[in-house]
Amino acid sequence: MGHIRILVVDDELIVRESLIGWLKKGGYDVDPASSGMEALKRLKEKEYDLIFLDIKMPDMSGIEVLKNLKESSPNSLVVMITAYGSVETAVEAMKLGASDYLMKPFEPEHLVLLVEKLLQQKKLIEENLFLKEQVSKRTKYQELIGSASCMQKLFEIIEEVASVDSPVLIRGETGTGKELIAKAIHAKSPRRFGPFVAINCGAFPESLLETELFGHEVGAFTGAIRARKGRIEIAHGGTLFLDEIGEIPLKMQVDLLRVLEEKRFQRVGGREYIPVDFRFISATHKNLEEEIRLGRFRKDFYFRLNVIEIQVPPLRERKEDISLLAQHFLQKFRRETNKPVTTISKDALNLLYSYDWPGNVRELENAIERAVVLAKSRILTKEDFSFLLRPKLLENQVDEPKSLEEVERRHIEKILNETDWNISRAAKILGLNRTTLHAKIKKYGLSHHPRTN
Amino acid sequence: MDQQTNLPSIGIVSVGKLGNLIPRVVAANIQGILDVPVSIIGEIEIPEETFILERRQYDAGLMLKILEEVSTNHFCILGVTYVDLCIPVFTYVFGEAQLGGRTAIVSTYRLQRGELGETISESVFYERVVKVALHEIGHVFSLYHCENEYCLMRFSSKLGALDSLPILFCDRCLFLLKRLIRS
Ligand SMILES: Nc1ncnc2c1ncn2[C@@H]1O[C@H](COP(=O)(O)OP(=O)(O)OP(=O)(O)O)[C@@H](O)[C@H]1O
Ligand SMILES: [Zn+2]
Ligand SMILES: [Zn+2]
Repeated sequence: MGHIRILVVDDELIVRESLIGWLKKGGYDVDPASSGMEALKRLKEKEYDLIFLDIKMPDMSGIEVLKNLKESSPNSLVVMITAYGSVETAVEAMKLGASDYLMKPFEPEHLVLLVEKLLQQKKLIEENLFLKEQVSKRTKYQELIGSASCMQKLFEIIEEVASVDSPVLIRGETGTGKELIAKAIHAKSPRRFGPFVAINCGAFPESLLETELFGHEVGAFTGAIRARKGRIEIAHGGTLFLDEIGEIPLKMQVDLLRVLEEKRFQRVGGREYIPVDFRFISATHKNLEEEIRLGRFRKDFYFRLNVIEIQVPPLRERKEDISLLAQHFLQKFRRETNKPVTTISKDALNLLYSYDWPGNVRELENAIERAVVLAKSRILTKEDFSFLLRPKLLENQVDEPKSLEEVERRHIEKILNETDWNISRAAKILGLNRTTLHAKIKKYGLSHHPRTN
Repeated sequence: MDQQTNLPSIGIVSVGKLGNLIPRVVAANIQGILDVPVSIIGEIEIPEETFILERRQYDAGLMLKILEEVSTNHFCILGVTYVDLCIPVFTYVFGEAQLGGRTAIVSTYRLQRGELGETISESVFYERVVKVALHEIGHVFSLYHCENEYCLMRFSSKLGALDSLPILFCDRCLFLLKRLIRS
């Protein structure tokens, strides 16, 4: 327990002074209040560990203050101070939640023991509160961060869903953490010792997607000189996660539906049926019902994969998590970039709160990464996030670059701007690893400058 | 009496007729332990206004205020008295001091006998007076109570606890005390 704060409420100056005098000699941080009203005012400004409260005061009785304070400061322990003859009121006060009472004047030893006892009690209460909070509110679930109640509920759902083997459809906007949720389900499921295989269906042209998923035999197509296992096969025993399931062409939906129903498949160009056993999780940000109506998604496939549906809320609907996520990413990128950036200023946080995050957690992650990479001090300020306020700029190069370096600089800048400073994506496009890209951004002093007109 | 040293000096005042011996013993011990000049200022009468009729005790806080007037050239004035002292919230005190102030007081009243009223040796009695005096002077030098069982700054309102203390400050308190004395 840190510094101990005590409030002494008594209308009699000499009582206040002598009790405060003694408590101060104990090194406690003690404040006086000469009336009930003053006490309530102080309690608005500060939290106290211990409150000594006189029962008889002219403006507002100690009992009234006590009632009020049990609501406003439920964590403070209260000792009533009574004069000879008002013990009954003191007993009433104990029923209302006071911890103990002292009758003026008291034996010095009595006060010492009481203060010791109460501070010990206070410490226990705090530890218990802490433990309780930890049990009821885990802000980290697998790789997922979230303290908002919708996220807490989501964690509970994952916990339940993990144990059953049914297909799960995760729906939510881009960057809301759908893949992390799929991973969490896998990690919590009985298949956790098997592989987790993810594939983004939107990232492949049709023909490639098919071989990616199903694998192929030798000679299945020109250039297929070796047989290759597809993701379905690799996922055997574990979990197969298909992201952007809405992008799968109709024909392949039929093939996949059959795999799910028959639990076997054929490689491209193969005749043999290979049995597979995996848990199926898919995700989409598309409105599949609408896709069905437009004839772009098969109803039977939809019903097959949508046995359990999980809806992920967009970041703007859980803004209370922004600070937690921002801190989390700050730590991550601080480690990654080795830059001594430790804090996000209040101003900056306010800006992050006010922003709408169409790209959700991924966009926040990118914003923090970018701010860390470009930060000039230990604290990220509002200015470090000013790019959030600016309209996206269009690249228009005028003069041709001369040196190779200049070409590189411009190209990196162009790709960064195209990817909206998504470092991972930019790195991928540039064929660099992120660390190298970080270094180059630093070397060229790149940042997002909007150009007028 | 006007030693011109750089160190703060402590003046001892008898409050009421106490004889010479007790102030001298206290002075010698303080000087020995704190290594500061100590002088015996003299004696004042027990201030009548400090008597609290309902409690038949003397107000220690008021005594401290009165002691302030006794001398201006001492950094700290320690009163020694034989009357029973109390403060508004406590039924009694062995001594009292202004935290970070100028004055302190010790009462021999409750130190003369054992916890059950039995007689005690003179040396135990003197030790008690010295311990309380040093404890209160510690407060004048802004020291808080200390949790160390073997430190004079431990709060002891019972004779048994007082007797089990050595006439010593713990290292930490002594360090703070010396630093505060020299600053
Ligand atoms: N709750 C969260 N806690 C910590 N990191 C998160 C959270 N949600 C998302 N992220 C991070 O944000 C990024 C995007 O997450 P993920 O890829 O799971 O989103 P998605 O919904 O699958 O996106 P898309 O639909 O675009 O594929 C990842 O880097 C992920 O680590
Ligand atoms: Zn003390
Ligand atoms: Zn000590």
